[in-house]
Amino acid sequence: MAATLKPYLTAVRHSLTAAMCLQDFPSQVVERHNKPEVEVCSSKELVLTPVVISRNERERVLIEPSINSVRVSIAVKQADEIEKILCHKFTRFMMRRAESFIILRRKPIDGYDISFLITNFHTEQMYKHKLVDFVISFMEEIDKEISEMKLAVNARARTCAEEFLKRF
Amino acid sequence: MSERYTFGGSLASITCHAWNKDRSQIALSPNNNEIHIYSRERNDWKLSDVLNQHDLRVMGIDWAKNTNRIVSCAADRNAYVWSQADDGKWKPTLVLLRINRAATCVKWSPAENKFAVGSGARLISVCYFESENDWWVSKHIKKPIRSTVTSLDWHPNNVLLVAGSTDYKVRVFSAYIKDIEDQPSPTPWGNRMPLGNLMAEFKNSTNSGGGWINDVNFSADGNKICWIGHDSCINVADATNGNAFVRCKTQYLPFLSCVWISPVSIVVAGHSCVPLVYTLVDNLKLVLTAKLDKSQKKESSGISAMRIFQSLDRNLRTENSDTNVDSIHQNAITCIRLYAGEKENGKKISTSGVDGQLVIWDIDNGLNNSMNNLKI
Amino acid sequence: MAKNTSSSAFRKIDVDQYNEDNFKEDEADAISATVGPDENEITTLLTQGKSVEALVNVLQNAPLRCKNQHVKDNALNTTLRVLLSIKSSQMDQAVEALEQNDLLDVLMKYIYRGFEIPSEGSSGHLLQWHEKAFAKGGVGCIVRVLSDTNRA
Repeated sequence: MAATLKPYLTAVRHSLTAAMCLQDFPSQVVERHNKPEVEVCSSKELVLTPVVISRNERERVLIEPSINSVRVSIAVKQADEIEKILCHKFTRFMMRRAESFIILRRKPIDGYDISFLITNFHTEQMYKHKLVDFVISFMEEIDKEISEMKLAVNARARTCAEEFLKRF
Repeated sequence: MSERYTFGGSLASITCHAWNKDRSQIALSPNNNEIHIYSRERNDWKLSDVLNQHDLRVMGIDWAKNTNRIVSCAADRNAYVWSQADDGKWKPTLVLLRINRAATCVKWSPAENKFAVGSGARLISVCYFESENDWWVSKHIKKPIRSTVTSLDWHPNNVLLVAGSTDYKVRVFSAYIKDIEDQPSPTPWGNRMPLGNLMAEFKNSTNSGGGWINDVNFSADGNKICWIGHDSCINVADATNGNAFVRCKTQYLPFLSCVWISPVSIVVAGHSCVPLVYTLVDNLKLVLTAKLDKSQKKESSGISAMRIFQSLDRNLRTENSDTNVDSIHQNAITCIRLYAGEKENGKKISTSGVDGQLVIWDIDNGLNNSMNNLKI
Repeated sequence: MAKNTSSSAFRKIDVDQYNEDNFKEDEADAISATVGPDENEITTLLTQGKSVEALVNVLQNAPLRCKNQHVKDNALNTTLRVLLSIKSSQMDQAVEALEQNDLLDVLMKYIYRGFEIPSEGSSGHLLQWHEKAFAKGGVGCIVRVLSDTNRA
């Protein structure tokens, strides 16, 4: 199972590098505007083929590129109920603070848990390879965080239960 | 050998740049609505003027060498022609583009009596000077362009224009303005050349669909055009060969700019951050002949092998503490200009990019070494 | 006046789509390979153990320009069958053969399509394919998958 992690992350890294070739593009639908074409989808020719990279049935990454923006959506592994709740809370926490994250999207795409929107303005201000590194390490860290939180929740639950049952 | 410059201390991306005739001055835009003119002072650059007539981001600049005029176009649907007054300051002249979307690229014609502007309004404006009202007026080339025009280049005969667009097509048009010039003589691209006549149209790729055209360029004699598409391919079409074209699929990230440096060689650069030289062999295929950037991977000091293995084990990935890319340009290269030499014999080129650097590359050495190994 | 303004449905029409200047996909390209690979032929090649040839065959006959989604889905299933049946040790040889036939880009397209329908162990195998194809084609190969309007 762990044997697929490295090829999975490498494949995502290469696909992101290929998708993040963005250039400034003023809107051809509204004058004097500059919109992320992947969000607006106003012209078919400006949006590229979306690709999915999956590690197994539950873990997937969707990359939707366009001429001036790319949308990366991640489906996180959620093996049981408690992980589902933890993941939901965790991603909600981050998405509510999306402005500080700069590249985070406020709502995930349907079928995924969290989405990033990276535009040409971001790639002009930040190194592209570091943006890719960030997304990859995000994917690694989120699994670790959720596992840690689950252990912490279980440990607290055990302590609470012990204290309560000591009465009887 | 290469020289690297940054301007004004800030590392803002350079959207585009243009040189004057003797390369003592450069006009560039630091990713905003201004154009900065720098003059060379020995090994450094001094800011001589700031041109800020535009409201939105400047998309293209071109400097007419002989008449010493600068034309600029921006996302605010305007273009201005700047002339230098006696006190050295640049004064703008209005251009009536009559477009209702952003202008994306601009080029002076070889005789510098007109220029062409590509725009998101799916048309090209060919502008010439009308002295009665002291402004520049335009004629439009509209059919059959179906999407934003991204790049333009002029044929040496001052009449033909090649345009690349995001509708995956490269088109050669006639931009003949009968008010200011004589009838052109026939060329391999065609005989009749009324304004707006489509002389040739090329799809980016016949086998596969897609691939926006990022840049187009006429060769020195005007018989060949090269274009680069977003599908990481370089294509060359030859009018003397029945419009046959040669396509080269590369393994690099897409290129953003291309320029001919000899009758058979092209320099391309783009998202991979290194300029490359491709040569046309036997008119049948394009081959990579030289990489102009010979930077080595930086050696990190004092990391023992043991620590690398330990971190590999822990993190399941290689420790990558390099913030710097191992090439001179740290981010995509957006604009290439010939610095020394002409299209038939380019000696030096200058590249500017998203990292805010301007680098001048020497082509001769790189090419000679690799050409020796190339058998034709 | 009240009668003809009762319906406001006209306000909801997207007028821009009728603009004749809009980008239109080229319609004329439905020529090559409208049928897709021959499933029986592929099955025979697979049972004979000639999986590399089967792969070359299935990719050469890929119905990339076809507009019929049904044909494309069938081709996708056949291609995935072949991809999953080729063992890791044979992958290098297969990629070599494809590179000579200029079919690396088509392979990459099908690898990505295969990721969309993960089944038992398929993603792991496809990830290995991705690594091998990337080693030969570089990022350019992935860029061509993204920019090509003819989808697998």
